[in-house]
Amino acid sequence: MKDLVHLIDFEELLQEANNELVRKGKEDGRRALGYTCSFMPEVLLDLPGCFAVRLRAPRSTSPDIATYYMSNRTCPYGRCLLERALEGGYNFLDAEMATETCTVTTRFQEHLQMMDIIQNPDFFCEFTDIPFKRTENSVDHFTQQLQLHVLDKLQEHFGIDTSDEAILKAIDEHNEVCRLITEIGSYRKLDRPTITGYEFALINLVSLTCPKYLILDQLRDIAEQLKTREPDERLPYRVKVVLAGSENDDPYFTKLIEECGALVVADRHCYGSLPGREEIHVEEGEKPLRAIARHYLNHSECPRFMEQNVMRERKQHLADIAREYKADGIIVAQMKFCEYWSYERVIDTIVLQRDYNLPVCSIEKEYVNSNTGQLRTRFQAFVESIEFKKLQNAGKGGAS
Amino acid sequence: MTDPSAKRTKIKRELDRLAERHELSDFAAYQIGANVFRKVKNGDYKKSAEKAVKKIKETDFHKAAADFWYGKPHEERRLGDLYIKNTGLYKHREWRGVVDTMYYFNMIWLYNYAAMVMDILKSDEPLSFFKGLARYRWLGQTYLSVLHWFDRGLEGMRGPALRASAWHYRGMVNETIRNFMRMFACDTKLHGDIENHRWHKTIAHDETVNGNIFYGWRDVCDDVPLQMIPYFVSVHVNNKTVLNYIDAVQSIGLPSDPCPMCQAEAGLFVQDDYPDYSPVMVTSNEACDGSVATSILHDWFLNRPLFAMPQPMRFDDPLVQKNCAKEIEECWKFIEKELGIPFDWNQYVKYAESFNKLTEFEHEKWDVAANTDYYPVNGVAQALYRIYYSQDGDRKIWHDVDAHVRRIMNRSVMNRINSFPKTRHRVIAWSCAPLYYSNWCTWAYNCWGLNCIINMDSLMYDVMLKTDNYEDALMSLAEFNEKAPMRSMAVGGYEHIFRLWEFMDRFHCDMVVMYDQLQCKGMQGIHGMFEDEFRKRNIHAIWIPHALPDKRTVSRKEIRKIINDYMTTVMHEEPLDPTLVEFDDDESW
Repeated sequence: MKDLVHLIDFEELLQEANNELVRKGKEDGRRALGYTCSFMPEVLLDLPGCFAVRLRAPRSTSPDIATYYMSNRTCPYGRCLLERALEGGYNFLDAEMATETCTVTTRFQEHLQMMDIIQNPDFFCEFTDIPFKRTENSVDHFTQQLQLHVLDKLQEHFGIDTSDEAILKAIDEHNEVCRLITEIGSYRKLDRPTITGYEFALINLVSLTCPKYLILDQLRDIAEQLKTREPDERLPYRVKVVLAGSENDDPYFTKLIEECGALVVADRHCYGSLPGREEIHVEEGEKPLRAIARHYLNHSECPRFMEQNVMRERKQHLADIAREYKADGIIVAQMKFCEYWSYERVIDTIVLQRDYNLPVCSIEKEYVNSNTGQLRTRFQAFVESIEFKKLQNAGKGGAS
Repeated sequence: MTDPSAKRTKIKRELDRLAERHELSDFAAYQIGANVFRKVKNGDYKKSAEKAVKKIKETDFHKAAADFWYGKPHEERRLGDLYIKNTGLYKHREWRGVVDTMYYFNMIWLYNYAAMVMDILKSDEPLSFFKGLARYRWLGQTYLSVLHWFDRGLEGMRGPALRASAWHYRGMVNETIRNFMRMFACDTKLHGDIENHRWHKTIAHDETVNGNIFYGWRDVCDDVPLQMIPYFVSVHVNNKTVLNYIDAVQSIGLPSDPCPMCQAEAGLFVQDDYPDYSPVMVTSNEACDGSVATSILHDWFLNRPLFAMPQPMRFDDPLVQKNCAKEIEECWKFIEKELGIPFDWNQYVKYAESFNKLTEFEHEKWDVAANTDYYPVNGVAQALYRIYYSQDGDRKIWHDVDAHVRRIMNRSVMNRINSFPKTRHRVIAWSCAPLYYSNWCTWAYNCWGLNCIINMDSLMYDVMLKTDNYEDALMSLAEFNEKAPMRSMAVGGYEHIFRLWEFMDRFHCDMVVMYDQLQCKGMQGIHGMFEDEFRKRNIHAIWIPHALPDKRTVSRKEIRKIINDYMTTVMHEEPLDPTLVEFDDDESW
């Protein structure tokens, strides 16, 4: 396929947290607001006067100092973030909008509070309590929390306009990005997708880590180009897969899977777009903040949700994604030491194969994937097993 | 002069006669004979007799009588000599002096064996005990080793400490039996898949959901924590029971790093080793990500109406209380709907007020522990009893135990009896303890004079339940449940876990035993900050690595070695009882 425009720039942008567009955003007088978890509504951090930066630690190596503080038995994502912070990589942040959602990222954010790490006199770190359910009680609670711990704090510290009008404007801008990303992602549903998983991962990650107003034009260009982009005559992949699981902000991980012959057609993980890039709808008569709270609770597929029906629907949702995107199998990748996904991965691996007849490759990964050889072997074997199954099914079909 | 060969022949003939009479094999008879011959030849009998006479002459009969009557002084006890090599089992129980030995035999050993039989006979369906014994491995592996659990925890204790600590143990045994007998009386697996009337009137809940949630039904239903007995209590009594469950859950693909407590709980389901005694299940997010995640397995295996009752993480925030209260209320509605029995406010008030009396006494105990040397409860009894009763909720047995302990404690304070006179350091234990070695503090006192005054989990649930009106009651219940074990201190902000300094001051402790649960992400995630603070504050802290119920990761012996090393290399102290410094109890329960 012909190269997508801006992709090389996007690759460059993802090489560091404080990238060119983040610096540009700061030069424009906006406040950079960091966050780690998909439960923190980025739309609120993109209010006029500030912009959201979802924290990554690209090009991490061994997080030695963070390992002293957090031991080597904790999530490597949390440790790499702390290491990067200690290295001064997040000094551009004006605030960290924290959530107590998973233990190790919580501890990372607490280190930002305890230690004088971020060398920015304006910096503060504020925690928001996130519910475990989708009930009305949870929506009320989340709305209150967002008001007190996000909006009020932004206004208090930086004089950000947090009126309903400002929120509605932010929702409009956010929705435009979501529409574009969804449109771009929809080409993955084609029988012969015209965008690869790696390309899409770059685009989605850039939208999470850079000021959105600075990438809108590029996203429009990409969407336009995709309308006419033709797939290669000879398919560069052998099977199509969904990449599900926990934290995963490494586009090279997706690339690795694709190098093994499996095109990643859907991304249902913490940094993915399914969910993540659905438009926010404000019901008539509803306060925009409440609409945001409801949206984020209703669309999240995090294994942190404990309601019985939600726990069961998660499997169905994943199976539905696989069908919609015409995937041949699912890779469930769990960040090492992630307790939520340890259990979710076990159940997914059993239930999706047994009840939905979907092949599953279940793996545990590091944040820094230095063990590429082992992963490559796993993915190649998975691809072969799917192909073998396809051949068997074709044989059965032929016989009948 | 006698011919030696003639002498040998005579002895051989005599031995043959003996062997014939006693049906000894030739070899055994020759062995005995050879020994006798050797001793006669060497004059050993003469030497022995001389030695005995010398010893009698040197013996201080006054002291011997005192040792017999009062027991030996701490430094002379040599408790390590009582163990059978490599097992940690006793050759015989220690002599604690006449009064304490008699007390131990009558009021602890005999009394508790009898009580264990009586508790079963008093239950709804005594015969189900035998069915349960055959069906569930956790019961079969623990019931008869209970008294060894007493022995381990009460080793070296004397006077009020022996008595008060033993009453705590008695309370826990009684409530354990009541809980599992209730489970068995309802269990469809023991009743040919029949859901009997008790099954319909029993609420199953995760062991981390507090019993006080169900006070509104206590007179008409019962609530039993599902994993409390099969996993949590049983691993304290016999640390081998749990390994099987951990292996089981890993066999279905779970990595080995999540909290082993959650793994063991989930393993019960994988092994189908849990009683089926209720139409419903209530779970919670207490205490960590692992608890949340295991709900997924609960639902999958139980496949029945399940209510998740999460509590907020940022519990200092006044805004979260309403949300938490509402969740509890939703839980009550769920039970009303599923069991068809309405919540009874009067029952709630009755039990909540009764429970407050337990909390009041706990405060009294803390006061004595913090401000005097006369607290008569040892570290392990304090820790286990507190977490058990406060998690279980109000039950008659806790009041009975507290009445006994109050009497003992008052006497101890009035008569200024120091039950731990060899205390060198007042220790506070922080974070979550190794379940397979909860009695480490008994050993540490006997060996090094480390007196564990208080532990972190004893300090949670420090909230009085209000009963003046429904709203206040609900709000205080919410606050109570937010301050659960490994929650009150471990989540909701780093300032909670650093309350250690506050409690060190309050309990006048000069040393910290820092439990280092290797698979607890929350505690591992703040490890370095503790190291920094200990150095900054010049506090002696011994890190004890462990894997909660899994003894294979760090054995009891290794834990002792870490303490020994710290005490010799950093503190430069000599052991009070050198026989306890090194022994192997890997094969022990």
